[in-house]
Amino acid sequence: MEGLRFFFYHIRKNPLSVVGLTLIIIFAIIAIFAPLIAPTPEGQFDPYKIPRDGYSQPPKPPSAEHIFGTTEGQYDIFYGVIWGTRTAFKIGIVVMGAVLVIGIALGSIAGYFGGIVDEVIMRITDIFLAFPPLILAMAVTIALGPGITSVMLAIIVVSWPSYARVIRGDILSIREEDYIEASRSVGSSHLRVILRHVLPNSIYPVFIMASLDIGAVVLTAAALSFLGLGLPTGYADWGQMINFARNWIVGTQNNTFAYWHAVMIPGLFIFFFVMGWNLLGDSLRDILDPRLARR
Amino acid sequence: MQKLVEIQGVSVNFYTYEGVVQALSELDLDIYQGETLGLVGETGCGKTMTALSILRLIMPPGKIESGKIYFYTDGGSPIDLLAIKEDEIRDLRGSQISMVFQEPGAALNPVYTVGDQITEAILLHRRQELAGKALAELDKLLASDNGKSPQILKPLRKIQRRLYASIVDDPMAVPPRFVEHIPVVRRLLWRLGDEATRIAVSLLREVEIADSSRVLKQYPHQLSGGMKQRIVIAMALACHTRLLIADEPTTSLDVTIQAQILELLKKLKSEIQTSILYITHDLAVAAEICDRVGVMYSGSMCELANVEEIYENPLHPYTKALMAAVPKPGSELLAIGGFVPDPLNLPTGCRFHPRCQNAKDICKEQEPAPVGITPTHFVSCHLYDGEKLGNSG
Amino acid sequence: MDFRSYLIRRLILVIPVLFGVSILIFVLMQQFPPYQRAMLYVTDPRQMANIEDIIALYNLDAPIWEQYIIWLGQVFQGNLGWSQVVGMSVTDAILNFLPATLELAIFATPLIIFGGIWLGTKAAAHKDRFIDQATRAGAIMGWSLPTFWLGLILLMVFYGYFGGLLPPERLSTEMNILVHSASFNRYTGLNFLDGILNWEWRVTWDSLRHLVLPVITLSVVNIAFIMRLMRSSMLESLGKGYILTARAKGLSEKVVINKHARRNAMIPVLTVSGYLFAAIVNGVVITESIFNYKGLGWWAWQTATALDISSILGFALFSGVLFVLTNLVVDLLYARFDPRVRLGGSV
Repeated sequence: MEGLRFFFYHIRKNPLSVVGLTLIIIFAIIAIFAPLIAPTPEGQFDPYKIPRDGYSQPPKPPSAEHIFGTTEGQYDIFYGVIWGTRTAFKIGIVVMGAVLVIGIALGSIAGYFGGIVDEVIMRITDIFLAFPPLILAMAVTIALGPGITSVMLAIIVVSWPSYARVIRGDILSIREEDYIEASRSVGSSHLRVILRHVLPNSIYPVFIMASLDIGAVVLTAAALSFLGLGLPTGYADWGQMINFARNWIVGTQNNTFAYWHAVMIPGLFIFFFVMGWNLLGDSLRDILDPRLARR
Repeated sequence: MQKLVEIQGVSVNFYTYEGVVQALSELDLDIYQGETLGLVGETGCGKTMTALSILRLIMPPGKIESGKIYFYTDGGSPIDLLAIKEDEIRDLRGSQISMVFQEPGAALNPVYTVGDQITEAILLHRRQELAGKALAELDKLLASDNGKSPQILKPLRKIQRRLYASIVDDPMAVPPRFVEHIPVVRRLLWRLGDEATRIAVSLLREVEIADSSRVLKQYPHQLSGGMKQRIVIAMALACHTRLLIADEPTTSLDVTIQAQILELLKKLKSEIQTSILYITHDLAVAAEICDRVGVMYSGSMCELANVEEIYENPLHPYTKALMAAVPKPGSELLAIGGFVPDPLNLPTGCRFHPRCQNAKDICKEQEPAPVGITPTHFVSCHLYDGEKLGNSG
Repeated sequence: MDFRSYLIRRLILVIPVLFGVSILIFVLMQQFPPYQRAMLYVTDPRQMANIEDIIALYNLDAPIWEQYIIWLGQVFQGNLGWSQVVGMSVTDAILNFLPATLELAIFATPLIIFGGIWLGTKAAAHKDRFIDQATRAGAIMGWSLPTFWLGLILLMVFYGYFGGLLPPERLSTEMNILVHSASFNRYTGLNFLDGILNWEWRVTWDSLRHLVLPVITLSVVNIAFIMRLMRSSMLESLGKGYILTARAKGLSEKVVINKHARRNAMIPVLTVSGYLFAAIVNGVVITESIFNYKGLGWWAWQTATALDISSILGFALFSGVLFVLTNLVVDLLYARFDPRVRLGGSV
């Protein structure tokens, strides 16, 4: 209970975290109720295919039929951004989950056992970290062919090394602590020590990193689809929708902002989604850090 | 003896998440010129706060609530350290009043050489002096110039002379300060740095460091704890200090080094005649080096007396308990009963009353005022209320 | 251990990593059928006609490790294959597009580093006051912005709305013709520099005008990152004992912050700057694609969408190797900067 009071005191001092949490909750609600908010048209099997109202190129402004208007190729923007929320959560959570599992597993092994095992695993992370993430993700996406799975796999490949390193670093310092030695001396197996003592103490910074990074994951995925890689055309994804709008940013002869909706709306969705996670992760870091320092 | 510092009614509070902590309550203390005054007490009793208040270095969430601290400058008229402007107190910090901290390792910046850190203080506070010496040297050079030195040197030296002269007139003169920020041109002021280094070398010799010029070029992590503390002491003495505040300077060192540093401080004390405010929790150390000793508890002063008086005739129950608590081989360890008070929730009346064997009813209600048992021995305890001069028991 | 053994150890460790990098690229390469893989060995479009011979020549049907050796040999000879999209060998393409990206990087990097450090210092020095909250909010927003979206909006406003004030691409058509004409000597390939060297101020001015938006787009996200790092590093530094000592010496707050705190705080930022290089290469792909700025990033994008694998893999290999070397340099610089690492142990 004391911890909870402490937590709320800091939340009060840090109103931005409330904003972040609210944003995420709003997006979660949108994602969960997507079929209700933007129902898939009759007869369409795949809900992630954005319905098209015709095939003409120029985007059309918001109207009664299309609440947010349409983008290039007459894809309905409203449908796209609503279902795009689901895509974003899907990619963010799946990728983050996989990265955490792989990163923690490998990082713990490297940090706990040290020696050769550590060196080898570290060199492997070095190799993956040697590439600018987007470039490697691009290469992997191409190699694996189009589809949401390759996008997710590509980002997982690119992201796991940093987590492995962080966990390894934490474990290296915790490993020297006395209670580890004490536990081993009463006969705990390596696995038990890792699960019961090492991990619970090193997990905080990793979770902070994870909540901050969900935003980065979604941004990378959006970047990939913006570049036209990975997801099939017409898939409900924010990045792709901005890609559709890119040719229309200069508007018409008399009105530069004629097609603002096609650019701004998907962009705003990305922006607020990522910002929500960033605010949350940021304030988590502020809250947990001084607490750790108070020890 | 003449007074150097007069602390009057200083209170310091800390505003934390859990509440307001009263670190110092209406402290009164005088420090005389040339004396070594010891401040003894447990951790958290306010000794360090007293020191930081004198230098006005209390940072948020701490705040000096009230009081005056009078410092008697060379001219004789006292100034209130808590009231003067920021740049005025900065002038005093590191020069007339300087401080040595507990952890020498933490006190030194790891990315600069120790020489840099010492000369930094010298360059800051003794600028006029350095410029004066440089000027004298330059004048000599310019006067004895018989045309043998290369032509370019003469105008360069003239420019240098102008710069140094303006510093002698006004240490804060703008042109030299401006020049110092320009990368290549600032080499013109090299003599200042040279002089400062020379002073630093002799300072190191004062604190008994052999091979001073080599040591100056080293980084803190390359030196031992004892060496680092000597350097910190040298840094504090760099600018004609009149009050040296030493906050547990030997606590973090091992015992043999402790003894060495104490000897060094005693030697310096006899040579330089600065006043020293020596803060420690170790009674034995206080006895070694101090002329007077003040015992603090929970933000107030319990007892203040000459060193012989306090050791031969401790009056305050807390002082007596402290003396008794020193471990003696063969006898039982006598701890002081009870717990250190929660700083958020200080006891009413006399702070020590919950742990005092002689506590009376009045102790719970009223804070005792200091009573002078002898002209030099003061104690704040209700046991001695009404005692007058000469009636010591 | 002292600096020399540190240096040697670092250098030795680099080699297996470089090999690992090449292996990773090679593994990715194997995902493609022999016909496409053959593109990585071709240096001339006419060779395309004899693709069967190429496949045989480079043993593309042979066991993996054999192929790896052969491929590695080719790489060391500088043969990274043929880029169909731009019609030149990959190596040539890299050399061709490098100057453009370099121009971007030259302007963006100091902006990011100095801007980030300055903002971070200010935020830490005035913690919790307005400037701190403002810069933190700005940093979070900057960090949440998709770079491509920012770029599009900037284009929309400064090119669309303000009638071509800050246009995309590297040069306007007119200047482009001038730059490619016989009278203009391309010393460096960096337009603004070449303009100066050729005494053609119009070229320099024009290229700078075209650089403004891409540089801003590239920098915003990274400035936010550096700023946050610098801020927390400064806060940690300001809590240290030597800061109290510095204040007790009578140094002004400005000197305490800029001289004592900042030097220590910059150390972690310096280590991160290696990763900054990767972030820039990252950002460059998107930025150049938005502004149609024909540099390495633009080329990477074009080749990726066209499934020109020799190019994309060649580029990945190139940036991987470059990144490893950059990090090595940064590590060595860091050792120089922090005397504790440089001079080794204590007494």
